[in-house]
Amino acid sequence: MTHPLSRRDFMKAGLGAASLAALGTRPGFVQKSFGKTATPRKILILGFDGMDPGLTDRWIREGKLPAFRRLMAQGGFRSLETSVPPQSPVAWSNFIAGTNPGGHGIFDFIHRDPKTYIPEFSASATEAATKTIRIGNTIFPIKGGKVRNLRGGKAFWQILEEHDIPATIFKIPANYPPVATRQRTISGMGTPDIIGSYGWFRYYTTAPKEIREDIGGGEVRQVYVISNRIEAKLPGPVNTFKKDRPTAEIDFKVYLDPQNPVVKIVIQDHEFLLREKEWSGWKRVRFSLIPTQSVSGICMFYLKEVRPNFRLYVSPINIDPGDAALPISTPESYAEELDRNFGPFFTKGLPADTSALDNDVLDEGEFLQQDGFVLEESRVMLDHELDRFDSGLLFYYISSTDQRQHMFWRLFDEKHPAYDAPLAGKFGGTIEKTYREADEILDRVMGRMDKDTLLLAMSDHGFNPYYRSFNLNTWLRQSGYLQLTNEFKQEDLEIGFPSTDWSRTKAYGIGLNGLYINQKGREANGIVDQGADTDNLVREIARKLEEFKDPKTNDQVVLKAYVAKDIYTGPHAGEAPDIILGFNRGYRISFSSPLGRVPKDVLEDNLSKWSGDHMGAAEILPGILLANQAVKADSPALYDLTATIMDVFGIEKPKELIGTSIFKE
Amino acid sequence: MWVFNSVIGTVFDAIVWPVRGLGPWPVMIEVSFLTGLLMLVIFRRTSNQDGIRAAKNRIKAHLLELRLYKDSLAQQLRSQGRILAANGRYIGYALKPMLVMIVPVVLILVQLNLWFGSRPLRVGESALVKLKFAEGGDPLKTDLRLEAPAGIEVETPPLRIEDEGEIDWRVRARSEGSHVLVFRSGGETFTKSVLVGRERMMKIAALKPGPGLTDQVFNPGEKPVPGSFSVASVEVSFPARKMDLFGLGLPWLVVYFILSIIIGFAFKGVFKVEI
Repeated sequence: MTHPLSRRDFMKAGLGAASLAALGTRPGFVQKSFGKTATPRKILILGFDGMDPGLTDRWIREGKLPAFRRLMAQGGFRSLETSVPPQSPVAWSNFIAGTNPGGHGIFDFIHRDPKTYIPEFSASATEAATKTIRIGNTIFPIKGGKVRNLRGGKAFWQILEEHDIPATIFKIPANYPPVATRQRTISGMGTPDIIGSYGWFRYYTTAPKEIREDIGGGEVRQVYVISNRIEAKLPGPVNTFKKDRPTAEIDFKVYLDPQNPVVKIVIQDHEFLLREKEWSGWKRVRFSLIPTQSVSGICMFYLKEVRPNFRLYVSPINIDPGDAALPISTPESYAEELDRNFGPFFTKGLPADTSALDNDVLDEGEFLQQDGFVLEESRVMLDHELDRFDSGLLFYYISSTDQRQHMFWRLFDEKHPAYDAPLAGKFGGTIEKTYREADEILDRVMGRMDKDTLLLAMSDHGFNPYYRSFNLNTWLRQSGYLQLTNEFKQEDLEIGFPSTDWSRTKAYGIGLNGLYINQKGREANGIVDQGADTDNLVREIARKLEEFKDPKTNDQVVLKAYVAKDIYTGPHAGEAPDIILGFNRGYRISFSSPLGRVPKDVLEDNLSKWSGDHMGAAEILPGILLANQAVKADSPALYDLTATIMDVFGIEKPKELIGTSIFKE
Repeated sequence: MWVFNSVIGTVFDAIVWPVRGLGPWPVMIEVSFLTGLLMLVIFRRTSNQDGIRAAKNRIKAHLLELRLYKDSLAQQLRSQGRILAANGRYIGYALKPMLVMIVPVVLILVQLNLWFGSRPLRVGESALVKLKFAEGGDPLKTDLRLEAPAGIEVETPPLRIEDEGEIDWRVRARSEGSHVLVFRSGGETFTKSVLVGRERMMKIAALKPGPGLTDQVFNPGEKPVPGSFSVASVEVSFPARKMDLFGLGLPWLVVYFILSIIIGFAFKGVFKVEI
């Protein structure tokens, strides 16, 4: 018996091929959240992404983080061993699954298809509709079409569900689409915007040449002011219901006052005024695909300038939580409930638009305004969840600690190549201020704690400066492991290794920390035999990487070149890169290398605003752990927290979990 | 026209008054109930009841023919044709009462829109104030100014759109109350009310009409703008009010028509009306 597709299944099937991540099946439709057992103890976990133990300790000692100090006095303060590599999706997956990456299969933001060498997102995969019917120019999906969460292992809230213990998981990274559960969950990092990207802004201006042409994460559109009016289009998702796959668009108009710095924007049923330097708040927009199908999204407008040059920023269009075309929560009604209570809210994985700041579309102050909306929204929704937290577990995630360290390290550290003294005078205190804001959130939570609640404040990794960029593929080329088809060509700046001679290439780099051997039988054009040849080559490259020094500073660039076989265990260990680069403090992979480019120089100064990072060796980038109960473990790791949850709720630890409770010696 | 609107408005207010404190649903049920009954009376008095009854009986008879003479294609086609013809007659009989009913229904809808169309602004919420000029009015040459009371903040300078004959402002509600915006040009003024407060049953006129007759008929909530201003309308973009039913926000118009029809059918036997 066949079941007719629901409207949303139909939509998802249709959107399936739109983009890498823009499609999916939801977990089963469930109206109510799960968990009826009233637990004698509750667990509340605050996840501050990227909070660094060194900075936290320093500002605790200086008396700037009083709530953290109080919590430290109750249960201690530990560095929390992070994942190898210490990337957020990997680290949070260690916590979610209670394993190392060999257990859950997420080794990097990016992995590759060994048959094509094309880089792919590692956290989710999209499958287009497998059966369609075409009538004229219109394609109707009949079957298939979904997005899959690629993380393996069971999430800890699924284990709690098996024991009837309720949990609310708020925006934990690496959970898009949310895994099937009857617990209340909403996806975080990894959730795409409505076009299926990780955030794609639009910038409408009469002076487009002021912005670099090769910007990433957004699009500059030239507009013309005619009779004090601008007509423009807001692009949405690719319309896969149409044979030629056009981009769905919405027309909008901007009316400019002849003298006053104010405009009126008219888009669909919205009509609103904006002054210069003003944000619009969320606006719902609906993209029509075919007469019976449309997709709803939410976006914000920011008017940078009216005259002499018109400049209007439109945020990435987030999935509308009130009418989500793609799966973002379990039960589906959870996102709708939050939307009803608070109105539209950020649903895109990492909500702050770092690309807009990096490309000078937003300045530092404007970026902080936007991220301020994110943080304020987090505070309000945290209160809402605390109000009803009477049993089980609540996990709550804060992203601003990570995003602001990425973007403002250069104004906090005079040694940074992108340090700018005047700007530092204004924004040099941003990271400290962000830690203080985290402290306020912790204080708010501690003020509402009861004696039966275990409170854990943790982060997935620490932070360090990003001074110099390492082009792994260029290093491999110069070391003779990677060859280009044209011997005289110095570089290949296209993604996906289009000019690489695979018949003579032994190793290549893809992802932020990954190095792969071009193995026979695994890679499409592999040349290195599996077994001893590969093992020897891995050891040789790892040794050379650790020996390599920056000619400018004489510093070691790669502090640890981890051999995957030595460090990963579990069912997915064989899918790992062969070597994982753990960079020294101040170093990181370049922006070119992860997608398979081979630029000219091995090392470059990092002059971008993305100036703090955490791609280093796990040993130098631990996260933080504070608890309101004495922590007995000296060196707890992320996966130990998962074992701790089981222990506190009296659940026998599943055999897949590799950690130990932090409250045991 | 304003006097007529005031009389109709007063009558409607008197009808609503006993139940308005109970919330929107009792008001809607009461108005739908009265409307249903009124429609039954009008239908009975203005329709050909014998003709409707005969047309319906004929349709039933031909439907029976369809079942009885399944084997005869010619008879089937004849019966279907006669059903269509009887249907046409039925619709013809219903047309006259429908036309008569349009007038009271429109007046009721206009009044209902004042009660159910918009909700007051909440403190902190903003709204667009849109002033449209009549033919010949020029937003760039006017000296018209907007003055707001203490409970309302004008957040933007005027946005003047010459092609559209329009001036817009954004205002924000700062305190609860029934506030009055004053538009001043030379020595003359006119006003527009802005309600700020919790959502409760109150009349809200989103649009203040100009002197045009049609605008006044459909926007009876406030006195029209004096003709000397060359203003066609002033509108405040109050948020839409929804009828809350177990968390679902239903459009009031849909609720009204469904309730009126249910009540009409429920009481047609009592009033001996053939519909």
